[in-house]
Amino acid sequence: MNKYFNIARLSLKERLTYRGDFLFSSFLRFLPMITSILLWKSVYSSSEQDSLSGFSFKQVIAYLLLVNISRMFSSMPGLATNLARDVREGSIKKYLLQPIDLIGYLMSYRIAHKAAYISTSLVPYIILFGSCASFFDTFPTPVGCAYFILSLMLAFVIGFYFEVCLGMLSFWILEVTSLLYVVTTLSFFLSGHLIPLDLLDTTGWLDVLKNLPFAYLAYFPAAIFLQKISDDDLLLRFFIGVLWALFFFLLSRVILYFGLRKYSAYGA
Amino acid sequence: MLRHLRLMFCFAKFSLLGELAFRSNFLLKILVELIWLGILLTFFKTIFGKSSNVAGWNEHEFLFFVGAYYALEGFVETFFLENCVEFSELVRSGNLDFCLLKPIDPQFFITLRRVDWSTAPKILLGFIMISFAMYEIGKPLELWKVPLFLILFLCGCSLAYSFLLLLTALSVWMIRNQSLMEVWWLFTNLMRYPRQIYDSEWALPIRMVFGFIIPALLAVSIPVEFAVKEINIEFTLFLFVIAVVYFQLSRMFFNYSLKYYRSASS
Amino acid sequence: MIVIKTNNLSKQFRVYEKPAGLIGSFKSLFNSKFKDIHAVENINLEIHEGEIVGFLGPNGAGKTTTLKMLSGLLFPTNGNATVLGYVPWERPVEFRKAFSLVMGQKSQLWWDLPASDSFELHKEIYKIDPVKFKKNVGELTEIFQVANLLNKPVRELSLGERMKLELIASLLHDPKLLLLDEPTIGLDVVAQSAMHRCLYEFNQTRKITILLTSHYMRDVETLCSRILVISGGKMVYDGQLQGLKDEFGKEKLIKIQFKNLVPDQVFSKFEQLEITGGIVRLRVSKNDVPSVLAIVSQCEEVLDISIEDPPIEEVIEKLFVSHRSKSL
Repeated sequence: MNKYFNIARLSLKERLTYRGDFLFSSFLRFLPMITSILLWKSVYSSSEQDSLSGFSFKQVIAYLLLVNISRMFSSMPGLATNLARDVREGSIKKYLLQPIDLIGYLMSYRIAHKAAYISTSLVPYIILFGSCASFFDTFPTPVGCAYFILSLMLAFVIGFYFEVCLGMLSFWILEVTSLLYVVTTLSFFLSGHLIPLDLLDTTGWLDVLKNLPFAYLAYFPAAIFLQKISDDDLLLRFFIGVLWALFFFLLSRVILYFGLRKYSAYGA
Repeated sequence: MLRHLRLMFCFAKFSLLGELAFRSNFLLKILVELIWLGILLTFFKTIFGKSSNVAGWNEHEFLFFVGAYYALEGFVETFFLENCVEFSELVRSGNLDFCLLKPIDPQFFITLRRVDWSTAPKILLGFIMISFAMYEIGKPLELWKVPLFLILFLCGCSLAYSFLLLLTALSVWMIRNQSLMEVWWLFTNLMRYPRQIYDSEWALPIRMVFGFIIPALLAVSIPVEFAVKEINIEFTLFLFVIAVVYFQLSRMFFNYSLKYYRSASS
Repeated sequence: MIVIKTNNLSKQFRVYEKPAGLIGSFKSLFNSKFKDIHAVENINLEIHEGEIVGFLGPNGAGKTTTLKMLSGLLFPTNGNATVLGYVPWERPVEFRKAFSLVMGQKSQLWWDLPASDSFELHKEIYKIDPVKFKKNVGELTEIFQVANLLNKPVRELSLGERMKLELIASLLHDPKLLLLDEPTIGLDVVAQSAMHRCLYEFNQTRKITILLTSHYMRDVETLCSRILVISGGKMVYDGQLQGLKDEFGKEKLIKIQFKNLVPDQVFSKFEQLEITGGIVRLRVSKNDVPSVLAIVSQCEEVLDISIEDPPIEEVIEKLFVSHRSKSL
């Protein structure tokens, strides 16, 4: 257990050394928010309706701000690509030799990474949410907040194991990076990062979209916070989310087992 | 001039051969572009399912805009983006020297030597969207407008190129090119929607800075307005002039940064 | 005809200290510390058409910097130079067409494509006449014996094969001057010899002037008639290779092999480098050679004797040391 803690400690240090440009790039990332706000303002004012698919203008903006928080937990930059590269280049070998579990190692690294990322992002995020406080009409109850935090944990777990599975496909597929690119692009839309999933009600795919694992990466936590999910629905949604988490967890174990077996069979 | 065209042809040919060597990669990249197009159009359709116009642009005019933006983005990504991103790597590794040794203009060589064929379909698809939008609008585009629209479109592309070049030249001083991509993405964000969106009061500073000083807001808006909305003579002329000015400025700055590289590299 | 002429060519670099940590970086915004490095100081040289000149020196001596100034890639801090009649750092187009620079371990060929495609691109860039181009490619491919490599992607080739193709690419436009910066670095002995042979042949047939930097003596010994030695940014020797050996190589190495053990005390007067079993190696001054031979003729059961010049590296090393002590 100790070794995982040390790994976590090291990657935390790594993250903190880039504090300077980090603040700058966090700031940069929020400028497009202005464009989104103006765009949706135009849409709402010309539609002459206060609510579109159950979202008011303020709620749409609040949603777009909140998905940033969901993504803070569920995005795993470099996880799949680095894993794919390690498999391709053979550095995976050490996991056959050393008494350390690959996925466990990756998990400790990620948790530390996330902790550092979140703690260093606090200041820019507080500034952002502070200046946009007017968009938040309602706040969730303490129970709602608890559910919100749970959904963020869920987003992390699903995001992590999903990317691990993708990365490990490189045991069998050569060009995993391009495949990753396709999946990331799809995920961007299907997770509700670009637009609240509810607004896609006219497409007829809404029910499917809400049950896909992608929805848990961005949409779900934001929707909970904005109280868009009714109480009876909430438990069902969590249940499905946990099933997805379990599914990817097991899948990653299975892939790792067969992948390592293939590796030792061919001597990499 | 002819020689430069022949060289372009060479660059295009060899880039294509290089990309086809990794066929599945190439096809997947094209697939990604198509998915993005799908996302873009779904977003567009969703918005216009809820509202009949956005900032004074009706559905068909907006589609024209989306097509023009997509084509411009495709144009810049196909011819310039990859080369500009590679520039900071050239500086870091010292391989920039090889580019400077060739009996050819460095800016031409560095910014055009690779053609990204996987994004080239965007240009065609963008123009298909434009044609479709025209068809939906009903009345055909006046003949005299077509060449002028294309010129204005190229002015917009040139403006985007000049901005990209300015960012690229900075790599000589700052080796990190991650920020380059982020700042570029911010720029494209401003080109992405009609400028009338920024018409509210508190957006005045944005309109001032990005409408006149770094006129990203005009790059796509003005050509499209020229084609399908009321023609704004002042802005149209302004776009043309500022595109030429920025081209010159960015070229001067780029050459200046190369001079700096040549006095400082060891 | 003088191809290269320099006059007090100098280059200084200002290197800013990069402080560690956030506070250090902040401080450096106001008060940056820097060092001036004199990479090259007052280089005066004159190279004539058709010469093959070796430019020797340890790492960091200023060889690459000098070469970069001569090719126009760097501005000098002081002094001037003319190469092929042009001022290099003004980079006129005609100048760029008239010479080539090849840098060891760096490739200007397109990585994913076969070399033949890179050659064609070269042809377009240098505006080479198509007929001459074909002839050149044919000839060069023949000399370097790379016909089977032309259609393989460059990334699949070994370093030695790639360097040959780099060299071909650099010669396609018939340059009058060829600058080579550490061309044999990383190459095995066979590849090195091949390159030497080809360069020599090229120089003889096409009268191309070659300036070659290296820290391998082999390159210089086999190819160069004249060598320049640079150390600490300054030129310490400019002349014939033999002259260098004569001036600093006043010693000889003698190796004697006996059938049985080396007789005791016989060579105690001289510097003994090594005694193992029946072999003894001595370093003696030139004047003492006859004495050694006299002693050996008195010994019994001598199997073999050889007398050699000390390796040129030693000579050069001596040169650097004497130069350094002179400048202190």
